[in-house]
Parts: sequence; structure tokens; C-alpha cells
Amino acid sequence: MARILLNNVTKRYGKFKELAVDNFNMDIKDQEFLVFLGPSGCGKSTTLRMVAGLEDISEGEIYIGDTLVNDYPPKDRDISMVFQNYALYPNLTVYENIAFGLRIRKMPKHEIEAAVKRAADVLEIGNFLNRKPRELSGGQRQRVALGRAIVRSPQAFLMDEPLSNLDAKLRVQMRAEIIRLHRTIGVTTIYVTHDQIEAMTMGDRIVVMNKGVIQQVDTPEQIYHKPQNLFVAKFIGNQPMNFFEGTIEEINGYLTFSTQTFSIRLTDKQTKMFNQLRGVSYNIIMGIRPEYMSFEKEMFDVYPNAVLKGVLQFNEFIGSDHYYHLDSQGRESFTVRAHPRFSYREGEEVRVAIDMEKVLFFDSKTEKLLTI
Amino acid sequence: MKMIEVLRNFAQESKWKWSNFLLEIKRLDRTQYIILFFLTIASIFMLLPIVYIFNHAFKPLHELFLFPPTFIVQDPTFQNFIELLTLTSNTFVPVSRFIFNSVIVTVLATIAMVVTSALCAYALSKHPFPGSKLVFSLIMISLLFVPQVLQIPRYVVVESLGIMNTYWGHVLPLIAMPVGVFLMKQFIDQVPNEVLEAAKIDGASEFGMFFRIVMPIVTPAIATIAIISFQSAWGNTETSQLFMQDESMKTLPYYMMSLTANLANSVARQGAAAAGALIMFLPQFIMFLFFQRKVIATMAHSGIK
Repeated sequence: MARILLNNVTKRYGKFKELAVDNFNMDIKDQEFLVFLGPSGCGKSTTLRMVAGLEDISEGEIYIGDTLVNDYPPKDRDISMVFQNYALYPNLTVYENIAFGLRIRKMPKHEIEAAVKRAADVLEIGNFLNRKPRELSGGQRQRVALGRAIVRSPQAFLMDEPLSNLDAKLRVQMRAEIIRLHRTIGVTTIYVTHDQIEAMTMGDRIVVMNKGVIQQVDTPEQIYHKPQNLFVAKFIGNQPMNFFEGTIEEINGYLTFSTQTFSIRLTDKQTKMFNQLRGVSYNIIMGIRPEYMSFEKEMFDVYPNAVLKGVLQFNEFIGSDHYYHLDSQGRESFTVRAHPRFSYREGEEVRVAIDMEKVLFFDSKTEKLLTI
Repeated sequence: MKMIEVLRNFAQESKWKWSNFLLEIKRLDRTQYIILFFLTIASIFMLLPIVYIFNHAFKPLHELFLFPPTFIVQDPTFQNFIELLTLTSNTFVPVSRFIFNSVIVTVLATIAMVVTSALCAYALSKHPFPGSKLVFSLIMISLLFVPQVLQIPRYVVVESLGIMNTYWGHVLPLIAMPVGVFLMKQFIDQVPNEVLEAAKIDGASEFGMFFRIVMPIVTPAIATIAIISFQSAWGNTETSQLFMQDESMKTLPYYMMSLTANLANSVARQGAAAAGALIMFLPQFIMFLFFQRKVIATMAHSGIK
């Protein structure tokens, strides 16, 4: 168990020295479950592979525990890794798969047996230790891969999209199991995924990456509610956040956010913020999540000056909720989450209230969140 | 295709069962029946020479020269084998020496060919280096040359290495085996890199990965290459002819060939030749039966079939 430190880690690829990972700084605490999240090709796997020692580090330093491991081969870094496609040895039985690393490290036979048994018990794979990987289902295979990872009791687990090959139901189940495993063993874990639900549910902290650059490092709540820039705001959220482009103007003595089709009055807090930023009348992107736009009467009472109209385009019913996709004068489109008791027909014009407390403002040039 | 699948299931079945086979057959549709029909005819056609070799060796003299020739021996006899024995017992170098040479050369060459192909393919597949694609293309291009074209340069090389009249002279020219490298590479390409990376993290050395992970996964390819290289080494007369001036260093196939081919006409000693042909053929036949299952798996796998 150990903390992992990445100092200015950079990775360049190929002839033209293209940047895959740019100046990555990260302090992963002991026993932390850290998730790297990002679209494919954002450098999250590359970073993980650099920690594992499967990729060379172009610049920077990686520490595992107190040791600088830049020049250590993977086997001397005391880590273990779980791969997306399980990467089990197809020619060996489950038992031998788990015992492989221990045998190579010349552990006495009875200790190997005890260790494998312990790992098998934790993962409930004791019944098929004598089977070959091809005789197992996807979930069982991934469990064996986890067994192979935990049996050596390494300082850290590295997991590279371990659940992506499983079907949806199994994924939820294995997600819970990995969390349970982490709670019981408490080993520092780096978990790479492109699935935001996995990231949100599993991570103590999430690192959102794009094009090799860290966008934000924070707890799942902060990432969701206070995305530091437009990329994070767009990337996180199953139903994407709604964005409106507009400007801040002073109308009748109040600061308002105006787009081509509507104007809404800012709250006192927001007015104070924009006054401090002294950026009245520059271009702003407003972001609001679908669940904070509402048809509820109470919301109209609370925010009478934050109401806009839209024509219903289509409706997604997902059981517990409706997602209404609306269109404002053919210029702006947005999504509203509503309780199933609201039912509107397509083409109908409806009024929507915005929860102004939950509105986020981004500078349209720097794409950064505006805060004070 | 379904046919390939049937063959593969067939090859992977640990126990041969007629009932299973018939079940598989029942599941085919009409076009597949037609394909199966033609394949059966083709395979009977290809089986004929083998039947012929077996029968020919046991034919008495008058049957050997029958026209039109018959496939099935009417009056089997060991006369041909006796003739072969008499012939061989009168030679300057005893035939046992040729057999010994052949066995040594074949075993050494087969092992060397398999090992070299595997190592070469592993490097090309899993450790690409600048120019590795070019190297692989060169190896593939070398498949295009007729052996005869290479005889003279090969002679020069063997001569300048000073390995004329040694076992090296038999084995070395055979070792480079483009087909083997190709087959192996097809197989090793399919071993996921992650499996090797997992082994690396588990602490395996490069050789550990090669012998404990890669080789067991590609056993079908090894079996196939073993058969092909066994065949080429066992039936090889070229090295005896070109590089061995010393009679006692020549191999059995060369000797068998010289029994008949060196005579003025090819009528005399037909019986001995027929018996010799069977003796030469048998080891290959046994070898093939031994590895057959794995070979079919390879063919289905690499898309050769």
C-alpha cells in the first residue's frame, strides 16, 4: 500500500513527438480509489501504462511509495494490473493463472496454495480453479483477472477499463464487487474508464482528462455540480447539460443574462460575482442541467424572472422520468427532466422555470467556469 | 464458413465420436451437402496415390508392370522387400549408416526449423523494430524462389563455411523456413499483447513469456511446422547430392533415389524401388497421423484452408 506521485509526467509518441500526455501532476493518496475519466484517446490509458511501466516516460517522475520507479521494469514496481480483455493465460487453468506470478517469484508451494485459496475465496471463484479461461463466462474471467491481481498483495492496483467487455447487468454487479474489494483490501487503486457512471459511483476522486491534459481533479459531487470548464460540463452527465450562449446586460437596473430568444434576471449572488469580475456585457455561456429546469409551479414562484418558453420537439420516457426536448424559436434547444405526471404533446408550447441557484456561467473565450 | 467450423469442431473434439460427426453432418444445408460431396470425391482422388504406394510395394514382379496398372494388389508378396534387402546388404556403405544419418539430420533439422521459425516470428510479431515489416516482406519474397535457383549460391556459402561432409551441411541450409515463419507469425499475432503485458507485470522474463505463455498457445502451429519441416528434411536429397562427397555422410532418401534413378533405364529394380518408396513414406505418414488434429486446427485458424 502506498501513495503514488506523478511529477510533470509527459509522454510523446512517434516521429513528430506528438503529445499524448502533457505535464501530468497528481498525488494519489494511500488507499485512495482514483478514477481517470475521459473520451478515448485522451491519454488516460497511456498514463496508467506509464505507472505500470509498460510505456516509457518521456519526461517527469513517477514515485510509487517512496521509490522513484522511472527506470524500474514492471515486475519490480510491485503493482498489478487488470486489463479490459482480461488477458488471462489461455493455456493455464484458473489456479495456474492466479499462481503464475507467485511461481515466478519462487514462493514456496504451500504458501502459493494458501494465497490462491485466499484470493479465490474473496472472489468466490473456488469452484472453477481447475477450469481453463475459455470455459468461463466474461464475469468469471474478470474475477479471475482480479484474483491474479490481488494474490500478490501489491502496493497498487491499476485497472484499465476492466468492465467494458461485460454486459450492462454484469457491469453493475462487478462494479459493486470491485468497490467491496477495495474496501476490504484497501489498496491504492487507479481505475481507467470512459464510463462516467463507473467513475461517479466508484471513485473517491475523479481525474477528468482530455487530449492528454488534466481538466479537473475532484470528488464526484464537485465534478458534477462545479465543473471547472466547458469540457467537463459537457462530458459529465448522462443527459448532457443545456448550454445557452448570450451576454450579461443591465436592464432596468438588474443584471440579466440575455440570449437571442430570452432574458433572465440574475440572483443577487450572481450579480455580485459579475460586478466583481467587472465583465458586464461580454460573451457568456450559461449551463444548466436538465434536472434543474422544471415545469413545477413552485419553481415559477421562486424564480419568476427566470422563465423561458419552448416548443416540445420530442419526449424520451425512461421510466422514472421524462426527458422533454424543447426548442426555443428554432434557435436554441434544450432538455428538461420532468416527473412522469407531466405529459405534454409534441408541438405544444410550454413554459419552463430555471433553478437559478444551479446555473453555471462559463467564459465563452477561455471556456472556464466563472466563480469568485 | 460452416464447413470450416465443422472441421474445427472435429479437430478439437477430444474424443472421436461417430454420433457427433453424424449430428454435425445432419445440421448442414443443401449447398453444404453439395460442397461436402465434391470434397469427398476430391479427397478420395487425393487418397489414391497413398493407396497405390501401399499396394505397389507388395506387388509381385508381373503385377508391377501390368498395363493398365491396377490399384489393388492381387497376389501380395514380400519379394520386393527381400530384393531391397539384398541390394542394400551388398553396398560399400551399410544401409544402417544412411538410416542413422537420416534420423540424425531429420531430428536436428526439424527441431532447428521449429525453434528458428518460432523465435523469428515472435520477434517480428511482438517486438517490432524499425524495418521489421521490410524483413518480413523479404522473408515472404524468398518463398517465391525455386530451390534450384539457390543451389549455386548455397553451394558457395556451404563451401566457404567449411561444412561440407558434416551434419551441419545437411541441417544449416534447411533451417531458414519462410513458410514456418509465416505460419508462426499468423498465430503469434493473435496472442493479445495484454496477455504478454500481464505476464511481464507478473514478473516473467522475455524467455519465460516465450516458453510459458506464447509457445503453449501456439502448439497447433508448432505441430504443423514440425510436420512440414519433418517432411522437407526427411525427403531431402539435395544436401546429400551437393554438399556430401563422402558416401558415408549421405542420407537414406538419396540412397533410395540412387538405387533406381542412377541406372540406365527405370525398368530394372522397380520392385525394390516400390518397397523403398513405402519405407520412405511410412515415417511421414505416421508423423502426420500423430499431429493431424492440430494441423487441421492450424489450417482453419490461419485461413490457409
